[in-house]
Amino acid sequence: MKSDLKNEEKLLKELVSNYNVKGRIQRERRIWINTDKEKLISICKFVKEKGFDHLSAISVTDWLKEGEYEITYHLWSYKRKILLTIKIRVSRKNPSAPSVSAIWDRNAQIHEREMHEMFGVEFKGNDDLAPLFLENWQNSPPFRKDFDWREYVKKECYNKDNEREIVYHE
Amino acid sequence: MGWRIIPKLFQNLLSKPMTVKFPHESIPIPDGYRGEHAYEIEKCISCGLCAKICPNRAIEMIEATTRENKEKYQKQYPKIDLGKCCFCGLCQDICPKDALKLTKNFFLSTFNKSTTIKYPFKTEDGAK
Amino acid sequence: MNNQVMLESTGKNEYELFFGPAHPGSGNFSVKLEVDGEIVTSARANPGYLHRGFEKLMEYRLPIQNAVLSDRICILEPLNWNLIHAEAVDELMGIDVPERAKYIRVIMAELSRIQSHIIWFGVFSIGTGFDTGFKMAFGYRDYILDLFEMITGGRVYPTGYICPGGVRRDLPKDASEKILKVLDKIDEMVKLEEIENPVLQARARGIGVLKLEDAMRLGATGPLLRASGMKVDVRKEEPYEVYDRLDFEVPVRKEGDAYARYMIGIEEIKQSMKIIKQALREIPQGEYINPQFKKPKLNVKMPKGEVYVRNEGGRGEAAIYMVSDGNTKPYRVKIRGPSFLHMISVLEFLLKGVQIADVPAIYWSMNICPADLDR
Repeated sequence: MKSDLKNEEKLLKELVSNYNVKGRIQRERRIWINTDKEKLISICKFVKEKGFDHLSAISVTDWLKEGEYEITYHLWSYKRKILLTIKIRVSRKNPSAPSVSAIWDRNAQIHEREMHEMFGVEFKGNDDLAPLFLENWQNSPPFRKDFDWREYVKKECYNKDNEREIVYHE
Repeated sequence: MGWRIIPKLFQNLLSKPMTVKFPHESIPIPDGYRGEHAYEIEKCISCGLCAKICPNRAIEMIEATTRENKEKYQKQYPKIDLGKCCFCGLCQDICPKDALKLTKNFFLSTFNKSTTIKYPFKTEDGAK
Repeated sequence: MNNQVMLESTGKNEYELFFGPAHPGSGNFSVKLEVDGEIVTSARANPGYLHRGFEKLMEYRLPIQNAVLSDRICILEPLNWNLIHAEAVDELMGIDVPERAKYIRVIMAELSRIQSHIIWFGVFSIGTGFDTGFKMAFGYRDYILDLFEMITGGRVYPTGYICPGGVRRDLPKDASEKILKVLDKIDEMVKLEEIENPVLQARARGIGVLKLEDAMRLGATGPLLRASGMKVDVRKEEPYEVYDRLDFEVPVRKEGDAYARYMIGIEEIKQSMKIIKQALREIPQGEYINPQFKKPKLNVKMPKGEVYVRNEGGRGEAAIYMVSDGNTKPYRVKIRGPSFLHMISVLEFLLKGVQIADVPAIYWSMNICPADLDR
């Protein structure tokens, strides 16, 4: 029972013609677009007026070999029933991105706070970036791919003299 | 609202409670319950798949140490640590010869730490 | 109840109160309140007591091992989280799930939703002082746990019963009659709960009102939006599994206070029972799992790609974003829990200007789970 993809194609055409983004339609109700950091705020304002008023999640993927972070914004529209994902890439050294909390309010502010703590991304324009889960954490942000969590756990939590924990030290 | 409570009160006084008095009586346990492991060494082929699929690394493959066991059983066999096991049943699903099964026994609490490790051989130092 | 009180000597009537983790009415979560006399002036949420790092743990395990891990994301509704993880892996790897497996998945997910709403009713009652409601709720929940033990092998932890490809075991022969008997008992309990208790009405009507514009701005989903007037449900917007063939309604209320949320919970239990009865009548014979996935395998590679799956959990909208780069293990998993926004932004907004005695009623009427906030 395949439905036609007219709504998705119309939306993608509008975005490509106005902002020159690269996008694809994965299946019905899923559109993925790639763009640059500078155009992010204007695309978000445009898309919010078109009916995308629910921000579902903000997430960061760490591509260690290419030396970049990929920040993804997942937006859902209750009227059109389409999920739009916007992806931007920033470099891994001193990562920073503009904040969308002026557009989606407290919803975006809390997601950005979690990403700041776990990956170390600075969001300019967000005034509440206090730590959320961890207390007195002095090392590097824990979800990066070059933080060796196994060494940290072996040093802090495990006891070498306990015979039942020998299997974890291999 | 006030008087409607009286028939319900009599009904509750005369009916049985919802609980059972546990150590003296118990409800029957259905088949397929995931309890303690039962291992048959005669069927085992030492492939090591149970140790690789366990999500918590609770199974470790060991060799025999006493002389009579070394002559009879020459390969490596699984040693299970019940303290790390989450009783998921993946080792039972993956075993190609059905040598490892989960029984209905769940009375595993103990005061003696050595009973939490299950050795595959029947006569060994520290094993039952 | 004994609260921990810290007094700061300012000479005025203001102090800080920790509605914290050592409180019998708060769960694994703490809120710092600034209080002036008897009125709360501001609140600040303090999460992080249950942070286990699931998103990092899932990068080092195979998909079948992740299915065993996924029911610990929120243990109050384990089969719903099993289902969303299995759907994400199915879509990423392109697996066909047989029809009988889809019906079994829907039946188990709805039983888990009923069980989670019964816990909601129980802890809401004990938070407002109605102790009999708590004991009644946990007594009736046991019938559903006996059903889980018969079908999956464990009462509280089904350890990955809904796995990528289908389900791990078939339903036993007499499962249908036993499920229908248990649903009759739950019907009895719902009739008892609907009696209008005057104490509950006095404590919950008009408390913690959330208007629709505020709910959309703060990111509320699920029963909170439905209690404020918007008719929305992920099972009707983008149907997954076999929900497009089943007939059920979405309850809506307009007031937005704690009593409206409680009544929506009860009506959702009735709708879930309707779904289970229809599914038991229409279930076909056939395979219960895709035959390639019957025995767990160690070296199956996941193709490159990414996927975003949304489901309706008991508490709101749950979602998983999974990225794979061609190995056997996923590269990045992001879990969006429904309580993440409810407990930080909605709670801080609703607790401004209320009295201290109303704090438990508002807190428990939002049906929060600290486990899927911290993951």
